[in-house]
Amino acid sequence: MKSNFKILPEKGSSWRTFAVVAIACILGMGFFLVREAEVVSYLSDNPQACVNCHVMTPVYNSWMHSSHREWVSCNGCHVPQDNIFNSYYFKAKDGLYHSAVFTARMEPDVITMREASEEVVQNNCIRCHIQQVTEVKYDGWIENHKENRTDRACWSCHQEVPHGRIHGLSTVKYNIAPLPTDQAEMVIPEWLAKEMEAQ
Amino acid sequence: MKNKVLFVVTIVVVFLLGLLASSIINRKSEAKYKYVPNVEIGKNEPRNAEWGKNYPREYQSYMQTADTSFSSYQGGSATVDMLEEDPRMVVLWAGYAFSKDYNQGRGHFYAIDDLQNSLRTAAPENKEDGPMPATCWACKGPDVPRLMDEHGVGEFYAGTWAENVSEVVNPIGCADCHDPGNMKLRITRPALVEAFQAMGKDINNSTHQEMRSLVCAQCHVEYYFNKEKPGHEGTNYLTFPWENGFAVEDMEKYYDDIGFSDWTHAISKAPMLKAQHPDYEIFLTGVHADRGVSCADCHMPYKSEGGQKFTDHHLQSPLNNVANSCQVCHREESAKLIANVYDRQRKANENRIKLEDVLVKAHVEAGKAWDLGATEAQMKDILMSIRHAQWRWDYTAASHGASFHSPVEIGRVLGSGLAEAQEARVMLVRLLADLGHNEPVAMPDISTKAKAQKYIGLDMEKLRAEKEKFKTNTLPKWLEEAKEREAKMGSKKVVSAAK
Repeated sequence: MKSNFKILPEKGSSWRTFAVVAIACILGMGFFLVREAEVVSYLSDNPQACVNCHVMTPVYNSWMHSSHREWVSCNGCHVPQDNIFNSYYFKAKDGLYHSAVFTARMEPDVITMREASEEVVQNNCIRCHIQQVTEVKYDGWIENHKENRTDRACWSCHQEVPHGRIHGLSTVKYNIAPLPTDQAEMVIPEWLAKEMEAQ
Repeated sequence: MKNKVLFVVTIVVVFLLGLLASSIINRKSEAKYKYVPNVEIGKNEPRNAEWGKNYPREYQSYMQTADTSFSSYQGGSATVDMLEEDPRMVVLWAGYAFSKDYNQGRGHFYAIDDLQNSLRTAAPENKEDGPMPATCWACKGPDVPRLMDEHGVGEFYAGTWAENVSEVVNPIGCADCHDPGNMKLRITRPALVEAFQAMGKDINNSTHQEMRSLVCAQCHVEYYFNKEKPGHEGTNYLTFPWENGFAVEDMEKYYDDIGFSDWTHAISKAPMLKAQHPDYEIFLTGVHADRGVSCADCHMPYKSEGGQKFTDHHLQSPLNNVANSCQVCHREESAKLIANVYDRQRKANENRIKLEDVLVKAHVEAGKAWDLGATEAQMKDILMSIRHAQWRWDYTAASHGASFHSPVEIGRVLGSGLAEAQEARVMLVRLLADLGHNEPVAMPDISTKAKAQKYIGLDMEKLRAEKEKFKTNTLPKWLEEAKEREAKMGSKKVVSAAK
């Protein structure tokens, strides 16, 4: 240890052993938290990661039943897709904010987007639907066509895309949305599995 | 001093980390305990109403399958006498129970009633009597997995239809598709699991989206009763013929290879195949399946009611609920979308009716050839062509949604059926000429169901009278037995942990 700040007490000090154990405790607890909070899953694009937290179940379910399901998942709309650094930066910022609110039990019954998030979603609408908002043949002869199409938020008209009209946390009565996709379990009952094995 | 500060700071940090850990664990388990049930649902609970106590919205929407008011161009929830609508079918199924009675089914709610009332299940007088095996119950309700668990799969199939009238009384419902513990989708019918095994696949690897179709594929598929399954010889063992694939030719080859036929035609003596309802197989060849749509996406769309969102368990024609099914993806007017569906169905039906006409003629002409003394060797190829042509016709007709689910595939199958049937008739004309009959064969008058049934020699009066007797004498007795049995099952109330 050559740095100026020495975290461990001098060799031979009676505190040294305690300090090693204390630091190990903190690190161990940290690893436990990483595992328990499934931190690694947040690095992926899998929408399952978002329903680690059950307040996202209603929006997960409504997305799962929408036509957007086939094309885009949570991150495709709610996280910037311009470059990978920006993606993870925004995701980390948003995610830490979410986790802070959730830990403090301050989540509102109806979750709405913050301004920064609205901008990201709007840009992502345009990312895929650019042809609908900047039709070249109209651009040439309708003044401000592009601006008229891009200055408003898409969802000021398309209110039901893709999560529907009802947004409250209690809109899904039984919180079982993410569980069915758990592939570790059998999809056949035990008695049937035994019968099949016996054959 | 510095060490003492470090000591205190460490205590505080570990304490806070512990708090955070406990908070995370608590909030995670909230998801599991957020739902507190009213009653405990047993592992094989067959009574849908019992599940309904925990899931009132899903149950109430399921109960709407009792509604019979919707009819579309070729579907809906009303009873339609298919033989009355198209008496050609009587001749096509001569010698087989379908010629006696064939109705378009109503909703899942009526699965039991409709089977009890069908002339096909005849009128057994005691529990060993009657033409049908227990296997006919296999798809009719959640009592079947219960019985299979209690007695074994092979043992269930080995029984008679009659002895299960008092056992299978709850119509298709909750336990057929759901795990009572956590409501996950599950497969309860061995035939689908075995079909996956036969194809070298493991059904446990299915994704949730696939499961939203596979639970339907437990029943809405082509099947046959295999009497030669090793270990279960002589039993009517429910089997899906999927080993070579799902296409009409693949299953035809499967049946040809094992020399299977459902029945021998009463007029032509052809070894016939009866297609059941290959809805799932045909759906897979269509564009909706290709785009990742599942059965439940259209037949059980998402619904909101009283500020709650849930899956609509009123399984029905999406044409009765275009807003929540089609229009989730298709931004067209409802009338336009329905017209698009009917357009496909009408075009498919045009050729289906043509194929039926040709098939009726082929059967009658083959009958004439036998009358004139044709030999088995002379008839062999002709009968095989008739078998293949009618199999193709039935494959498209028995799946009522097929001409919408996959119109191009249905066009292809009907086309090949027409070619095959005409091939049979060309051979027949040559054979009839050889036998000294070089003129058109006289065709019977089959303009109504009654005339057609008389032509094939069915005594409908007798069949109906026997059925009435069964319904007034035997059936109520057996249903009484079922009631007594179920009265003992009781209901297990969950005591709330909060108290």
